[in-house]
Amino acid sequence: MKVTLERSFPLDATPERGWAVLENIDEVAACMPGAAITEHIDERHYKGEVRVKLGPARVAFKGDIEITVLDPAERSLRLIGKGGDGKGTSASMDLGARIVPTEDGNCELVGESVVELNGKLVSIGSRMVNQVSEQILKQFGENFGAKVATPSTAEPAADTATEATAGGPAAPTAAEAPSLNAFALLWGVVKSWFRGLLGKGHS
Amino acid sequence: MAATAETITADTLKGVGTSRKRKEDPRFIQGKGNYVDDIKLPGMLFADVVRSPYAHARIKSINTERAKALPGVHAVLTAEDLKPLKLHWMPTLAGDVQAVLADEKVCFQEQEVAVVVAENRYIAADAVELVEVDYEALPVLIDARKATDADAPVIREDLAGKTEGAHGARKHHNHIFTWESGDQAAVERAFEQADVTVSQTMLYPRVHPCPLETCGCVASFDKINGQLTVYMTSQAPHVVRTVVSMLSGLAESKVRIVSPDIGGGFGNKVGVYPGYVTAIVATIVLGRPVKWIEDRIENISATAWARDYHMDGELAADSDGRITALRINVIADHGAFDACANASKFPAGLFNVCSGSYDIPAAHARVDGVYTNKAPGGVAYRCSFRITEAVYAIERMIDVLAQKLDMDKAEIRFKNLIKPEQFPYQSAFGWQYDSGDYPAALHKVLDAVDYDGLRKEQAEKRARGELMGIGLATFTEVVGAGPTKVCDILGIGMFDSAEIRVHPTGSAIARMGTITQGQGHQTTYAQIIASELGIPSDDIQIEEGDTDTAPYGLGTYGSRSTPVGAAATALAARKIRAKARKIAAHLLEAGEDDIEWDVDRFKVKGVPGAEKTMKEIAWAAYNDLPEGMEPGLESVDYYDPPNFTFPYGVYLCVVDIDRFTGEISVRRFYALDDCGTRINPMIIDGQIHGGLTEGFAVAMGQQIVYDEGGNLLGNTLMDYYLPTAVETPHWETDYTVTPSPHHPIGAKGVAESPHVGSIPCFSNAVVDALAHAGVTHFDMPYSAYRTWQKLDELGLNKR
Repeated sequence: MKVTLERSFPLDATPERGWAVLENIDEVAACMPGAAITEHIDERHYKGEVRVKLGPARVAFKGDIEITVLDPAERSLRLIGKGGDGKGTSASMDLGARIVPTEDGNCELVGESVVELNGKLVSIGSRMVNQVSEQILKQFGENFGAKVATPSTAEPAADTATEATAGGPAAPTAAEAPSLNAFALLWGVVKSWFRGLLGKGHS
Repeated sequence: MAATAETITADTLKGVGTSRKRKEDPRFIQGKGNYVDDIKLPGMLFADVVRSPYAHARIKSINTERAKALPGVHAVLTAEDLKPLKLHWMPTLAGDVQAVLADEKVCFQEQEVAVVVAENRYIAADAVELVEVDYEALPVLIDARKATDADAPVIREDLAGKTEGAHGARKHHNHIFTWESGDQAAVERAFEQADVTVSQTMLYPRVHPCPLETCGCVASFDKINGQLTVYMTSQAPHVVRTVVSMLSGLAESKVRIVSPDIGGGFGNKVGVYPGYVTAIVATIVLGRPVKWIEDRIENISATAWARDYHMDGELAADSDGRITALRINVIADHGAFDACANASKFPAGLFNVCSGSYDIPAAHARVDGVYTNKAPGGVAYRCSFRITEAVYAIERMIDVLAQKLDMDKAEIRFKNLIKPEQFPYQSAFGWQYDSGDYPAALHKVLDAVDYDGLRKEQAEKRARGELMGIGLATFTEVVGAGPTKVCDILGIGMFDSAEIRVHPTGSAIARMGTITQGQGHQTTYAQIIASELGIPSDDIQIEEGDTDTAPYGLGTYGSRSTPVGAAATALAARKIRAKARKIAAHLLEAGEDDIEWDVDRFKVKGVPGAEKTMKEIAWAAYNDLPEGMEPGLESVDYYDPPNFTFPYGVYLCVVDIDRFTGEISVRRFYALDDCGTRINPMIIDGQIHGGLTEGFAVAMGQQIVYDEGGNLLGNTLMDYYLPTAVETPHWETDYTVTPSPHHPIGAKGVAESPHVGSIPCFSNAVVDALAHAGVTHFDMPYSAYRTWQKLDELGLNKR
């Protein structure tokens, strides 16, 4: 199944500051709940890991990331990730992100991603994948916003990726607290699900 | 010691017609059954399967090093390892081949790619995750109706250039066969001259039989004796033995297949799966027993499903509602490999019984089988080969015609039903229906439920905006495959067999070529022998499933045990009775013609007290025989049926639909079945309850759904619908008895009728509830959500 998401997040920072975070792949990964860069192969190629909990299914994707566009002039980044969990699910992601100046001198992060999932995770969790993806992206936006707003004090990402979770408890640690709030993520899923229901009924 | 004469009554005999309690139940309800997964052999290893996450992809590489390095792992097999043995592909029952382990590409999601054999199943499962497979995704074909588009992806590269398939010419790289039956020209003429014609597109969705016990085996090769034993969940152990012998090169006498207790089959356990083959290879290579047991996801995803018929039906009729012609065209989705379970010469099974219970002068059916990126299969899920699809098509079409003519749905059936005096009836498709009284059955049901009253109530409810539907199905099945001149599997005629031995003290053991999976053979076969030989059922042991001891038979599926296996049983018993008559005549010093059979003994006609019981005769068979007669009292019979049997029934269903939520409540379901002679009425009732419940499951929720990428959506019991006692409606059963004239005891088979007949009955009820809104058809399943979507589309859910 394919999940296509487009979002923009207003940032409380200058475009230069926004780009400084976006061009640093480790920083970007640290904003993504459950994600981490595990190995730098060269400046365009990395190995990474994403951990997601979808109801009863716990998935840890390992894969290769290739930066296909890194354009400081346009403040634009594009990356392709491909991987699998080794348990019968494969995933690929095509992610584009840009820093766009806004009229107030600040900027916004504009992103679009196409995630394609195949295998067990789709069979078991297809009904939750959209909502969970949206929640992960929303948290990503919030984390990214927090990071650009507090320059230089940002902690480097933990060695091992934390786990993005929906529908189940996680063991939070101090370091991951801002990037991972299991309850908020779950609540977000429930809320958006109900919104979906009401939306249909009232249209 | 001489046996003494005792009086045997119907109570102690428990023969045909008595509701003898099931002999199987004490062990099942005490948890003392012996299923494949209960079998534990010394030194046994466990196999687990690496499966494809992709529906269609090229395999660029498989790295098994990390898996092999895991302590406790004994072997990791891929197609490359099977190639030298020529076992990386295997023949299917349908004349195609199937990859045992994916050879260069995968063609459906969850396809078998590699097999890990390890010390225990936990290590095996861990090792499965360490096998690294590099895939390159290919375009996916899911929609069967687009399979033969010019630009459709090529699924079977191994068939490149093959323009001839097992069933004639292939017209496209995804085309498997075209099968036609009936008189096309006559049908075209009838349609041209018809007062009225109707057409309807219908999907019989892909469903899975989902037996409670998944598939599995324990394969054990004795290197010293060169003997292979495989304990296996198989509905056809003897055929499997032949296949294993052919594939492995082992003499068939060195192969023993044992089907122990089986937790439901419903067609799912007819075929040979890659798991069996790899377990057998592993035990031969490693010299240790190897167990392979599927989990639920594997069972639903990769083993044989049923149906997936995309049907276009048409009827021509005169203005009075007399049907003059029937035409049905089908696109049959067979998945990535044609692994349908059919008699070899019937690529669309017995689908051409689709003229149903109606006297239709001209009929034509055509089925085109196609490949898609879905699991292989196409078995008869609690039905004979493709009967469910055929019955669904005609029972839906006759309702479509009734609505077009604004005619009552019972009236149109009375108008078209084959009349009792027309039997044996020759259908336009060439079948000879054996016996029946269809109008009597329909009358009986309509009276029982007060049909006129129900229609009146429906009219009143409609006026108030409430949705109530009445569904009827007057169906005929063709079961008991079958006459060997037309029916075979891999060249072996579809006879079946029974062997009976009467012991000196008068008890008996019998073995059959069939195999029970819940049908209660251990109970009912004994009743047949009891009635034929006067030996109490409780003294008769029935054994099946061990190919070393049982006579060769084609197995149990397609309601064939009673039409074929029970016939062999009765005839084997009659051979014994014929010998017993000679022994009795000898003992009584009377001529054979002067003695007569009475329940359990031979009596000299007109001489009270001059009699010998079967028990006495059995004793004599081992010590006091007529001159020149060989000792013993046993026989074997291989029965080749002269024709199929044609059980039928009339079902009526009343549903109420909540127009705001889409919830469907089955208020009443009345099922009348005629299966000919009734061997055990209690077991028949149980079979009907089970079949109706599975029919309810199919109509209301079961569907194997794929997304456009070939991902199977819903292969666990969270999603795949198995109704429990909570959801299941109350069933009312009834019967008439019209024996089959060509069957030794007149029995026709019953287990599948309720499944075959109930599904169109549910559909007809749901459509009937919406008919006033112009609905002529609505595809299953009728889950509340799908029904609500329909109501929303029709605007029937507005307050």
